Amino acid sequence: MQDVERLKQELNQLNAEYVKIKDIPPEERAEFGRKMNEKKQEILAQIAAAEKAAIDAAVEPLDITAWSGTNEALPEFYTAEMGSKHPLMTELDRVIDIYQLMGFDVVESRQLDDEFHMFDSLNFPKGHPARDGYDTFRTEEGLIPPAHTSTMQHRVLKKYKNNLASGKPIAVVVPGRVFRNEDVDATHEHTFYQCEGVYVSETCAMSDMLGILREFFEKYYEQKLNIRTQPGYFPFTEPSLEFMIEKPKSLGGKKGDYLEMLGCGMIHPNVLKMAGIDPEKYHGFAWGGGIDRLVMLRYGLKDVRLFESGNLNFLREF
Amino acid sequence: MKISLNWLKEYVDVKVPDDELTRLIGARLVEVEGVIDETHKYDKIKVVKVETAEKIPGTHLTLCQINDGGEELVQVVCGAPNVRAGMLAAWIAPGAIVPASVHEDAPFVIGKRKMLGKYDSNGMLAGADELDFGGDHSGIVEIDPEIAKPGDLLADVFNLNDLILEIENKSLTHRPDCFGIIGFAREVAGILGVKFSEPIFPPAGLEFSSTSYAGTPREPSLRDEPLGSGRNIRVENSNHGTLREKQISENSNIKIAITDSEICPRYTCAEVKVAQAVVEEKYLTKMRVLIAKSGMQSVSRIVDITNYLMLLTGQPLHAFDRDKFVAVGQTENPKIIVRAARPGEKLVLLDGKEVICNENDILITSNDVPVALAGAMGGANTEIDEGTKNVLIESATFSLYNLRKTQMAHGIFSEAITRFTKGVPASETYNVLAEAVRQMNAEPVDLNDAWPGYHGGTVVKITTDEINGLLGTDYSKDLIVRTLENVGFGITSTGDAAGGTPAARSREASTVGEAAAAGPVEQLVIESPIWRTDIHIKEDIIEEVGRLLGYENIQLSLPLHGTANRDEIFEFKHEVRDLLAKFGTNEVLTYSFVSEKLLEKAGLKKSNSYKIVNSISPDLQLVRQTLVPSLLDKAYLNIKLPVDKFAIFEMNKVYQKDLGFDDEEVPVEKINLGFVVAERKNSETAFYKAKKYLDLLLKHFGVNVSYVPLKNHSPMAQPFESKRSAEVVLENGEVLGVVGEFKNSVKNDFKLGDYTAGFEIDLELLCKNKAHHKNINFIKKEMRDLTIKTAKTYGEIAKRVHEVICENGYEAEIMPGAIYQPEGASEKNMTLHLEFTKFDEKIMPILENL
Repeated sequence: MQDVERLKQELNQLNAEYVKIKDIPPEERAEFGRKMNEKKQEILAQIAAAEKAAIDAAVEPLDITAWSGTNEALPEFYTAEMGSKHPLMTELDRVIDIYQLMGFDVVESRQLDDEFHMFDSLNFPKGHPARDGYDTFRTEEGLIPPAHTSTMQHRVLKKYKNNLASGKPIAVVVPGRVFRNEDVDATHEHTFYQCEGVYVSETCAMSDMLGILREFFEKYYEQKLNIRTQPGYFPFTEPSLEFMIEKPKSLGGKKGDYLEMLGCGMIHPNVLKMAGIDPEKYHGFAWGGGIDRLVMLRYGLKDVRLFESGNLNFLREF
Repeated sequence: MKISLNWLKEYVDVKVPDDELTRLIGARLVEVEGVIDETHKYDKIKVVKVETAEKIPGTHLTLCQINDGGEELVQVVCGAPNVRAGMLAAWIAPGAIVPASVHEDAPFVIGKRKMLGKYDSNGMLAGADELDFGGDHSGIVEIDPEIAKPGDLLADVFNLNDLILEIENKSLTHRPDCFGIIGFAREVAGILGVKFSEPIFPPAGLEFSSTSYAGTPREPSLRDEPLGSGRNIRVENSNHGTLREKQISENSNIKIAITDSEICPRYTCAEVKVAQAVVEEKYLTKMRVLIAKSGMQSVSRIVDITNYLMLLTGQPLHAFDRDKFVAVGQTENPKIIVRAARPGEKLVLLDGKEVICNENDILITSNDVPVALAGAMGGANTEIDEGTKNVLIESATFSLYNLRKTQMAHGIFSEAITRFTKGVPASETYNVLAEAVRQMNAEPVDLNDAWPGYHGGTVVKITTDEINGLLGTDYSKDLIVRTLENVGFGITSTGDAAGGTPAARSREASTVGEAAAAGPVEQLVIESPIWRTDIHIKEDIIEEVGRLLGYENIQLSLPLHGTANRDEIFEFKHEVRDLLAKFGTNEVLTYSFVSEKLLEKAGLKKSNSYKIVNSISPDLQLVRQTLVPSLLDKAYLNIKLPVDKFAIFEMNKVYQKDLGFDDEEVPVEKINLGFVVAERKNSETAFYKAKKYLDLLLKHFGVNVSYVPLKNHSPMAQPFESKRSAEVVLENGEVLGVVGEFKNSVKNDFKLGDYTAGFEIDLELLCKNKAHHKNINFIKKEMRDLTIKTAKTYGEIAKRVHEVICENGYEAEIMPGAIYQPEGASEKNMTLHLEFTKFDEKIMPILENL
């Protein structure tokens, strides 16, 4: 506290010196004022830091090796019924379980990546308008918090390409957090979760991709589903599709009520080539879709913003 | 983009119902975002003849008797200045809805009413704006007596009972040819399995005046070339291709110079004389109706024609006042230079706004003076106005990459630039330009066309096996050929066709080598049509076949393959989540981006965070370095709710600039576990609660640590108070993390009470050090309590007791008991619970004497 007292005295002296301003020539007054103000701000900052230090200094040390405070009862765990797991995480675990049952390995997606993985390695030509469709954030260094889990495709293909030589397919799913520069409302979040799938073998076909996807959604929603596709466009798949399911009756769906669940397609030969896989010999397919929407549908949630709200009144429902 | 089904059906014969057509378009061509039902929008709106029209004195109103085709005349009061006896008008009958209000929350229903207290007025005579044909409110619409008679329904005359498809443009990013009705119709024909007949543009007979047109005489066949003349320029008909391969004509008075053919592959320009450039059409035209249905506004005759043709063909056009153009460039004849803008160059556009160009913009210049921001908007200095007599019509294509940057830099999102940024093919400019000249009914004066010419489409060689192999189908060769030919592909086949089309591909025998051994492989040699700039590789052809024949017709299959490997960290998080939730804590997820303020409050340096340059708000500007600050923020939120007591945790990724980059040259990534416990009313020491949870976790995974005084200066440790926190150190000396209470200033700034503590640890490090097996020692245990009076720490005592037990050859686990310090005493009484698995009473006296 002595420091603070001393600094406050300095400040008072400084304020007193301000009076001198009327004794100096008018053309020098601005410069004088500026310098005085600089000094003043410096002292104020020092006072704030010293006060903070003083507040922080006023603590008693404790025995960090003990199990309880002196004369205190041993602390207790909270009861199980207070506990909860985040619904996005439990559902993501469920999603991954289903894919693992189908023989897919898991690789988690990064949360800060670069232009190469996000776009270049995925056959987006430089400066192509398709890059705009992703509303990406960028850092000062030009790094990208990924806007899709496809940012991991190139890595996964490279990591697993030895599978192919030994006659095994590449079969990997990539869950992860992604980011889009979007205004937030009940159905849009700038931060959300996706799950990507990548499959490569000598003989795989689009029929396999559609088969796997239907199988996944039927397992996830625990019922038979009608599916539909529509043409899409992604530079990293050719052909590209949007995959839809008819909203299950049990979840309030009506006939003909189709929901877009994910984008998918046969991996573009350039993407395979860039990862060192011969596109003449091998084919692959990939897909990616949002987890948040899947979970909202399953629980009938109307507001995506709740997921990242940290509100325990909501989270303890799960 | 909006597509009128009625307009579409003018170009393709549709035999399926509209809902099926919409479904097929959605399933096989584009994403249909919505369907606007206009089938009843113009109900009860009739064409009527104004029989008498008398001004009501002292007002702007006119009392009209109209003939609606019925027995008796109907009286309507009309406020429009252009109402007159003898004209045909559109009458909204009482009880009908004003079309412009159909989609509003409260549609406006027209009734009967008394005007000025004495004139009955039944319904209204409608202006273009009320009919939803654009913003013109200057008068009522007049209808051409050549096309309608009183009593006709307006909807029948103009084919208005329609469905409008709203197309998600993003799903057509690679298909510039589909950004016009004709291209769209061609695809629909392909989907319906019928051959598309290309409309002929312009019809035979149009000719540029031979006296003033000084260019090379054109071959007659060029004038009646079909729009998108791919048919003429296929390999089998390649002589037409050479016709096009002419350079800029030296004989034309229009001089065109393109400094870089990358930024402008083709520039075609015609000069025409017009009687009057800016003229209101007397009658409501079908063109105006179609422009409105497509979501655009009618402007003036010449601009409307250019817009209409863009909507029809996908090729944008632009019209300059020719005389202003040469005046700006101070030349006698038009001298067009297309070039990249110089940074800082300025141009005032048609909307009155001045743009400051950068080097990515493309400029159309008159002898180097800018007159248009290419592809985006014309300049004000060459605008068409009432005095315009001579017009230059531009039909060109530009680099989509440059225009995309122009679009972003200047925020121009016109229908034209939307098309240009998809990569309009260079093939259409002449045809569309010629059609524009015809429709303008203008006198052609001169023409020039800067284009190196068409060198044929992309040729792709592919086998039916390859197509069926990738799709998982067994389409016959005939079906594939027919499907592709319907949408303009040229196909020849090579090799031996004996044995017919191979049946369904056998998965086991699908490699090229084996197929070759089975006999000569029949290859399809496929040439893309001139308008398909998106066809490059086999997969593009496969997409066409799969899409046009319907992905829904593919039989689904499931590939069989081996078992999966478990992902260690993913499984580990799963286990942590289960464990912590079982003990009453709550998992949360918080944003990866945080504010400068939050870091400051937690004592972290913002310079160690990656900064987002285009963040949504200052609250989300920095990539977080650790998890606890976000949790402190959420702790405050929950205390305020109020939730009386809780422990929240998050497992997520964090980044610190200090950690640098990894082998892949991307920032080093850490997976942390952050944990914060807080209670509203609890006077005990929160530290021990947080530590208890950490101990639970460590014990569960069989990891031994020691708690040492906090001297760690890592970002993780910053919010923690060093006197009331511990560094968590693994047996190998690595620092796992930190556990403790927070600095007073941190608690103050986050508005949290005294009972707040937490920990943050490196989750990957914990996972790496977890014990892979657990010894279950299920034998009878001897329990003893030991109380020691001491001034030492619990850790020191427990360690000493453990040593003594081991030294004497016994085994025990030490569990904590109470710590009691009588008032005024300098020493504490520490109780330890000892669970012996190897025990003899002899040990107790030794321990008690410690």
